[in-house]
Amino acid sequence: MNTSQTLVGGIVVDGVARSFGDVHAVRNASLNAAPGTVTALIGPNGSGKTTLMLMLASLLRPDAGTIRIAGFDPITETAQVRAQLGWMPDVLGSWSALTVRTTLELTGRMYRMDKQAAAARASALITLIGLEPLADRPTRVLSRGQKQKLSMARALVHDPAVLLLDEPASGLDPVARIELRQLVRRVAAEGKTVLISSHVLAELDEMADTAVYLNNGVTASAESIALTKTTMRSWRIKSPNGPALAEALVAAGIPAANITADRNELLVPVEGEDAASSLLARLVASGVPISTFAPAVGELEHTFLDLSKADTP
Amino acid sequence: MSQFFSGVGVIFALEMRQRVRGLAWYILLGVFVVLIAIVTVLLSLTLSAVSDVDGNQNAGAQIFSTIIYFVLLLGTLVAPALSGNSINGDRDAGTLATTQITLVSTWQIIIGKFLAAWTIALAFLAASVPFLLYATLAGGLAFDTIVVSILVLAFELGVVAAIGVGLSGIINRGLFSIVLTYLVVAALSVGTLITFGLGALASQVEVTHTDSYMIYDDAGNSTGKCEEPSVYTENQPQFDRFWGVLVANPYVLLADAVPTHYDRNGNPTDLFGSIKYGERMSQLPVNTHPVTNECVATPSPLTSGQDPAPRALIDSTTPGWFVGILIHLVLAAAALVGAWARLRTPAGRLTKGSRIA
Repeated sequence: MNTSQTLVGGIVVDGVARSFGDVHAVRNASLNAAPGTVTALIGPNGSGKTTLMLMLASLLRPDAGTIRIAGFDPITETAQVRAQLGWMPDVLGSWSALTVRTTLELTGRMYRMDKQAAAARASALITLIGLEPLADRPTRVLSRGQKQKLSMARALVHDPAVLLLDEPASGLDPVARIELRQLVRRVAAEGKTVLISSHVLAELDEMADTAVYLNNGVTASAESIALTKTTMRSWRIKSPNGPALAEALVAAGIPAANITADRNELLVPVEGEDAASSLLARLVASGVPISTFAPAVGELEHTFLDLSKADTP
Repeated sequence: MSQFFSGVGVIFALEMRQRVRGLAWYILLGVFVVLIAIVTVLLSLTLSAVSDVDGNQNAGAQIFSTIIYFVLLLGTLVAPALSGNSINGDRDAGTLATTQITLVSTWQIIIGKFLAAWTIALAFLAASVPFLLYATLAGGLAFDTIVVSILVLAFELGVVAAIGVGLSGIINRGLFSIVLTYLVVAALSVGTLITFGLGALASQVEVTHTDSYMIYDDAGNSTGKCEEPSVYTENQPQFDRFWGVLVANPYVLLADAVPTHYDRNGNPTDLFGSIKYGERMSQLPVNTHPVTNECVATPSPLTSGQDPAPRALIDSTTPGWFVGILIHLVLAAAALVGAWARLRTPAGRLTKGSRIA
């Protein structure tokens, strides 16, 4: 990818809205995903994630707003967008009678590759996603996780600059999730733009550089996200000496009523990262042995829950 | 342009691989071949003994035309099932949207799917080739009959395939689009006949007959005198007002398009000709004042109420097959354009309850 493409590349969405009849699936979505980064698109079920993804994938026309994929407008420059765009839908469809290899070859030819190039690309992708043992089996024998890998490979066939992944990790076992995470990170490291939608937040925490929050069809503004950084958040603290820990916490100024026990750990509300580090310093200074000191919920989950709370009156 | 066809080719290859694989498909084709074999054997047994007025064996022409009709019947019965969920079936399987986001255009998808559906339907024609060859060898068959009838049959299978693929793009539910395709085929094959018959019956006209008979004596010899003319009236259906409906019927269209060959008496030598004769006869307006007079020496065929010889009638009436072909072309094109309008992306309006991906 050369410099000029990098400058205009990525995904730029500004004020996009789309309704179906009187259902306003997406009201006002704006986001910016830069090349070389992984951006998480987070929102509860029915928040408009898939509708937004479909608009980004050039399948659905927005009612308002503008979209740029690698610098191109999906409505007026559909072919250019599609040449740059890989999309893994949330519906796992495959041509059941075709083999894994044929599926990838034919997909390559749909991107105007010649036969040799498509065959070579199919072999490379089969190796990349680790489906060699199943390469010449019909796709109907694939498990859900294997279909997910195939779907990912299909999205990568034409080496797109922008990758849209809609719920890529749902139904994957832990090993497959780690593989997916590594693959996504590798793709981003190659300078591609990756946008991942999911409501499984823990895994996105490990994968994504930035996040976009979508709730009721509206993306959260930067200010409201900054605000959640300072709201109360539970921290999980564990000590071999439980009673001493509880005493030290009360001594550090945390009301005993706010401390909850969860198995052999204590959950303590803390206001922001700074407050957490000063609390840790005081606990260590008081001589209590600490074995765990971590946020009880992930960064993304905390922000997500906080924004959801703010939105529902 | 070549880029357009290479995209069509990819979709075509995909469809053929996805749909034509599997045992069920070959069993279907096998059943079809067995049915045609039975029909051919039965026809051969019944017709081989029959020779025409010139003493020629023309069983071949009869067998050939019947097989062609049989292929048309089975083809139009099978084609809707094979093409009628071509697009909405992909949508259900989640493979339509992943095709749409590639560089393959909407028209390439539709044309590719249509050509695949047509090819699959033509496989039934191909499976009947051995029997058609047998009929050709049985004799009495003209080259133009073979060419035109096969071309029209292939065209008709294409029309059904196009309607099936088109409706599968327009209608979301696979079952509905298949049933609707069947209804369209039924409307063309049976509906036109019903319209023709009922329309003619509903538009009856009063016919006044004037009959004069010779007076015979008791020994049965003519006296040379005539009775007073007897006049009576009756109602007759006006088929000539509705014959145009028949040209949209695939079977009539096929018969009408194929060049007819006659024996020495001017009778058609195959089933196409017989059906064509019937269709053309319906073009004749009802004679509202027929006169029968036995006392006139040589009654002309037209006033005697007798039908003219098939050849004379066919030559003097209007062929309608090209109008039928035009109607079928418009139907097929409308279905495909409708599917294109529904499949265009980025999609604007969506019908209620439809899912794009």
